[in-house]
Amino acid sequence: MVEEQQEQIKTKNDGEEYLRVENLVTRFFTSKGIVKALDGVSLSVKKGEVFGLVGESGCGKSVTATSIMDLIPDPPGRIISGSIRIDDYNILNDLPRLAKIDVKSETDVRVKRNKKLIKRHNFVISKIRGNKIAMIFQEPSLALNPVISIGKQITENILLHNRVEIANSIIRRESLTEADIKSFYEQIKDEKGDFRPLVNSWTRQFAVPVAEDEIVNILRSGADREMTVRELSEVIMGKKRGNDLNVISTMRDYYKREEELFNLTLKLLEAESQNDQNRIALLEQQISNLRYNLKKDFSSFLWKRRFFRKKYEAVFEDEARRRALELLTLVNIAEPTRVYDSYPHELSGGMQQRAMIAMAIASNPMMLIADEPTTALDVTTQAQILDLIRDLNKVTGTSVLFITHDLAVIAEMCERLGVMYAGNLVEEGPASELFNNPLHPYTTGLLSSIPRADVKSRNEIKLESIPGSVPNLITPPSGCRFHPRCKFKMDICAEKKPALVEVQENHKVACFLYSKEVEN
Amino acid sequence: MELRYFIIRRLLLLIPTLFGLILLIFFLLRMFPDTYLVARYINPKSSVPVSVQIEQAKAALGLNYPIFIQYFFYIKALFTGSWGTMSTSIYTGPVLSGIELYFPATLQLAIFATILSIIIAIPLGTYIGARPNSIADQTGRVFSLTFYAMPIFLLALLLQLVFGKNVIVGNPLGVLPIAGKFSFNAIGAIPPPWFNASTGLTSPTHLPLLDALIHGDWALAYSSFIYLILPVVTLTLSLLAGILRFIRAGMVDSANQEYVKTARSKGVPESLVIKRHIRKNALIPTITVLGLLFASLLGGVVVVEEVFGYYGMGMLSLSAITNVAIYGVLGTTFVFGITLMAANLIVDIAYAFIDPRIRY
Repeated sequence: MVEEQQEQIKTKNDGEEYLRVENLVTRFFTSKGIVKALDGVSLSVKKGEVFGLVGESGCGKSVTATSIMDLIPDPPGRIISGSIRIDDYNILNDLPRLAKIDVKSETDVRVKRNKKLIKRHNFVISKIRGNKIAMIFQEPSLALNPVISIGKQITENILLHNRVEIANSIIRRESLTEADIKSFYEQIKDEKGDFRPLVNSWTRQFAVPVAEDEIVNILRSGADREMTVRELSEVIMGKKRGNDLNVISTMRDYYKREEELFNLTLKLLEAESQNDQNRIALLEQQISNLRYNLKKDFSSFLWKRRFFRKKYEAVFEDEARRRALELLTLVNIAEPTRVYDSYPHELSGGMQQRAMIAMAIASNPMMLIADEPTTALDVTTQAQILDLIRDLNKVTGTSVLFITHDLAVIAEMCERLGVMYAGNLVEEGPASELFNNPLHPYTTGLLSSIPRADVKSRNEIKLESIPGSVPNLITPPSGCRFHPRCKFKMDICAEKKPALVEVQENHKVACFLYSKEVEN
Repeated sequence: MELRYFIIRRLLLLIPTLFGLILLIFFLLRMFPDTYLVARYINPKSSVPVSVQIEQAKAALGLNYPIFIQYFFYIKALFTGSWGTMSTSIYTGPVLSGIELYFPATLQLAIFATILSIIIAIPLGTYIGARPNSIADQTGRVFSLTFYAMPIFLLALLLQLVFGKNVIVGNPLGVLPIAGKFSFNAIGAIPPPWFNASTGLTSPTHLPLLDALIHGDWALAYSSFIYLILPVVTLTLSLLAGILRFIRAGMVDSANQEYVKTARSKGVPESLVIKRHIRKNALIPTITVLGLLFASLLGGVVVVEEVFGYYGMGMLSLSAITNVAIYGVLGTTFVFGITLMAANLIVDIAYAFIDPRIRY
């Protein structure tokens, strides 16, 4: 059993990386000086993994998350350098051309922005945010818009990113035939065990999940073949909405072409970052062709959409509403229809956070950043939310970057762990390894400063705290930023910044205590 | 609670407010000594002794009753009577008919100015509020601070100077008339039957523009439109400046809120973030102050009417004040009070529409 688990963990660890951050440097240019918030952070999260990020308040955990979402408020902040690869696309590949930063002195920094490129960058990133990577925030009561209903906030996300998919499922539903239902019945009648999962996936595929319970009841009634098929088709056909298929398929084609256009834009940005002139020219040509064709082929549709926008949108909104209700059920909200129409202030903190999670996963992102999602909640709700996130990770295979200062939560949630200190990742490795065998002096200090239930004798081990406090990041300590507080300080620590190196298998640490440089 | 219950409740709340207003007006009236109220019914040349006449008049006016009984008499008279008579340079007759003649012009100025400034302020405020500290924003701030701080009569005079016809000789911008409601040249030699030459008013609405349109008199409609421009622009500029400041502040404030970050993290395009998430929240404080701004607008209307010779309620109340026509003052005050109540009702309902958290 244990072996099997380890086997599973191993295969997971060998999986592909979904997110890879390298040498991320983020700074804030304030009137008091430049805050060196992130100083070359590198980390990676594999597909289906829960990666924890811990550290004291102010160590740059949230800035890391915000940088990954490219949501650093500008001004005053900017990502200076580094790369963030999400699903093998570097969202920062046009970074050097977006702005010229002229540092005259600590308090006098001029940022010259290229507005046109920033606009394009924002357009591209807005298609990635929410779609491939989503985020949930610390304070759900602040993070939800107070004047928009919960349902609208969820469907907004669905309608932004899932157009083609929605259109496809509507088309599938509307073109369902008796033959489809017959083959579905043939497929399911031999199923000896529980057929609910099959029914569930089938109804989802054909966008008729409202009929799920009725289908199950009919199948359970055990009537003969013809009778069952007739009853089934009666129920399922009743769920059709009679939408105009021509219009919807035109819309689907249109959105598909738009997606193609977007993919080409991504390629163009990549080519520009590599300065590959031939490819740039080729891609620009393709893009302008596609854009021209899009306008030409869909001119009548675009005209009609301009005047009947409401009518066209209604079909999509209808389907989005259905999906939103499904999502609300998925995050264990008892009365989805009531919550759908209510406003954030009408819900409790736990419910708000659930709604927030539903919103984040609405467009099936493969990566979820949870920035202290339970800090503002009470303990029992905390546990429920943590369970929910873990279930989501298991069921949908969504990777999670879990940020917290609560080591107990980390121990429960995460497979791998990164420890941050003053804008640097100081240690990284499997959670169990880090808890049992911490290497960096900061990690050791952090672990010994939490009360432990398993320590028997009271006077055996005293609770320790790390002397000093987190440094001011306008004037951070030279070399290793932890050295002023470190028990094992050496001369080299104040001079040179230690690199994050693998000292044991899968276990990386940035400290000269484990570095070969010092021995030499 | 549902929105319509809120609206019904808010409408019912108008009733006590109305009685409060009446009470206030009544107190204003009773501040005058009895002799002042009685004076007009005394004929010194009559054979009846003056002291007897005073007693008779007091009895007829109900001044012998306790004051709270008088209040009910007053309420009854407000709903059934003609609010007393007034005699001033611009109007002589029953106060209620005077209000009927002159109130539409004021309402027209106020409504045009309000609608125009809202139509301009919302997109403009959205634009500059979304770009704090940009050149557009700085210009907008200078503009709004200037007009917000400038006394409205000064603004009116400046506009007359710059755009007024024949004010400055040779000024190419001077094309707009500076006083009146329309040009009498547009009436023609034989005035139409719906035009009253002695009062200079048109029927049925007493608004020259609307009446001319109703009767299909395009020349008069055009003329009254031209005459409307400067007073409306003056009021609009001063109201717009206030609204713009509040929308801008609201935009900047809500742009820094956490939910905007959430919206961006969902991948909402920037234009929609501004329209859907920031602006909707920014309008809440704006609507709150709109009621107050409307009150100052009513004050402005009085001044603007005077400067532009645009006969309306403002002129009526001013002439009532200068001629010590006490019933005229009370009547116009009451109407201004009711207008303000109506404006606040609209503001409250708009507030409830935009902010779901507001349900009393």
